[in-house]
Amino acid sequence: MTLRPYLTAFGLQWKIGLRYRIAVIAGLVAQMWFGAVTLMAYASVYHAAPDVQAPLSLRQAMTYTWIQQSLFTLLPLGCLPAIGDAAKTGAIVYDLLRPVDMWNWWLSATLARLLGNAVPRAILLACVAGPLAMLVGLGAWSLAPPADMAAAALSLLSITLGALLSATIVMWWNILTARTLSPLGSYAVGTPLAVLLSGMLLPLPLYPDWIRPFLLAQPFAGITDIPIRIYLGTPIPGGAVTGLGLQLFWLATLTLLGRLWMRQTVNRLEVQGA
Amino acid sequence: MQPPFPAPDAITVKNLRKTYTVREGGSWRGKTREIVALDGISFSVPKGQIAGFIGPNGAGKSTAIKILSGILRPTSGEVQVNGLVPWTNRVAHVARIGVVFGQRTQLWWDLSVGEGLALLRDIYSVEPERFARNRARLADALDLGGIMDQSVRQLSLGQRMRAEIAASLIHDPDILILDEPTIGLDAPSKLAVRAFVHELCQDRGTTVLLTTHDMHDIEALAERVIVIGHGRILADSPFEDLRMTTLSERILELDFHGTPPELALPAGAVETARAPHSLTITFDPRQIPAPALVAHVGHLSGLDDLRISRPSIDEIITRFYADHAA
Repeated sequence: MTLRPYLTAFGLQWKIGLRYRIAVIAGLVAQMWFGAVTLMAYASVYHAAPDVQAPLSLRQAMTYTWIQQSLFTLLPLGCLPAIGDAAKTGAIVYDLLRPVDMWNWWLSATLARLLGNAVPRAILLACVAGPLAMLVGLGAWSLAPPADMAAAALSLLSITLGALLSATIVMWWNILTARTLSPLGSYAVGTPLAVLLSGMLLPLPLYPDWIRPFLLAQPFAGITDIPIRIYLGTPIPGGAVTGLGLQLFWLATLTLLGRLWMRQTVNRLEVQGA
Repeated sequence: MQPPFPAPDAITVKNLRKTYTVREGGSWRGKTREIVALDGISFSVPKGQIAGFIGPNGAGKSTAIKILSGILRPTSGEVQVNGLVPWTNRVAHVARIGVVFGQRTQLWWDLSVGEGLALLRDIYSVEPERFARNRARLADALDLGGIMDQSVRQLSLGQRMRAEIAASLIHDPDILILDEPTIGLDAPSKLAVRAFVHELCQDRGTTVLLTTHDMHDIEALAERVIVIGHGRILADSPFEDLRMTTLSERILELDFHGTPPELALPAGAVETARAPHSLTITFDPRQIPAPALVAHVGHLSGLDDLRISRPSIDEIITRFYADHAA
């Protein structure tokens, strides 16, 4: 077994992701805008009720929002565009004609596409919302540095797991696309789930007490919410280890079940014809 | 995995059956119905042969091609390609075949042809020297020099098809499966594709299985035609044999500078059309050989010119399908 085909699939999608520079700039502007609006909303809510003991301080909520915005393209919103196109045109049969492990082949491409989209945006937005905002005197609204060195290191590890977890969830959307021969379903299911459950709409720590354990335990929390909590140093019940453990648990579970689902899907394609 | 039977041929197919289950009515309680796509076909293709695989739409050609490619599982029957069972040894099997689906693209729209080939090199783990050799050879034979650096989305259909064929051969497959490789191509591109496939077979001994609706592809390339209809093999023979058994008649056209005379024709020949200055006679060469018929009409007064022709391959196939209600 050689790694080369998988590295090649990764390299290809990474390149495609980087090719759309205008989209990076446009996305950056949109995310700055959404970030700023969200921040103003938090500021007025927090100032309106200064006595309430919120699970996140205003400063933490702002930092949460900036990181969340900078990682927006890391979310599993739908299938890999290349797989969606291939499903529509029927070129997906060529994927069955390659001497490769289909799961690893698609996963490499998916991970590369997510990272190729997210990494440049994340770095740019972090620079603008962090050091640049402080320099121009908007320090109170800026992205705060990590809680401490350990938080920095662990959140880096955690975001790596988050990217893998997101790619694994996208694999489920890819399989759904291969089954229905259309990418639409994956977006219809994926986008609301990912936006809501990842904490993009409202940070998961700000939900009511009774629902928070469930929100933390579901797989979408592992993409950005857990890495951000570790970065902020806000308590996760059981500590950072629980967060990393949850990520690993979902990564393993979704990979195992996803591979089974893929096996069954390929069998079905083989039985009913693509 | 041990092959279930020894197979010296490149492709061996025995009693291959494939049925699809379709849901009718589309509602929750829709009844299901079985459609028989392949109803027990058997054939084999020796190494280095070009076999044409033809049949009307819906005859089962694509189903058979998909099974041989390893992307479809039959309901029953035995298949060996290169000594492997396609659907049980998928990865090993697909590494040794090349496939072109004429209506789909295997190249990457965002990449240039050269980048696409390099990507396939990595997918098939082709060693660098072998890749360089194959790339140069294919670029030369398929005239890809000028388009190596163009992105696939900018290619014309003819250029793209040549690139597709190169893509299917970069890993030196023993067997090449071409599913309608000339569909939509202009005449020069068709001729280029045919010439290339012919050479490939001659020089490298590649076994080729070809499906097409263009009967000239078959005439130019295939040593043998397998005609499939209603999921069964209707004929499996050299093309000349099919011609003899289906539509052996020939056509004699006579031009006159006056009104054509009334003729008493020998048995086996009939007048089929009459125009102010010409006559068309259809005859069966087994009953009346062409020289005898020409001798019979050669002395007619006012005869300017005569031509003998055979029915086109399209007419033969149309007749064959009609005879078999395919």
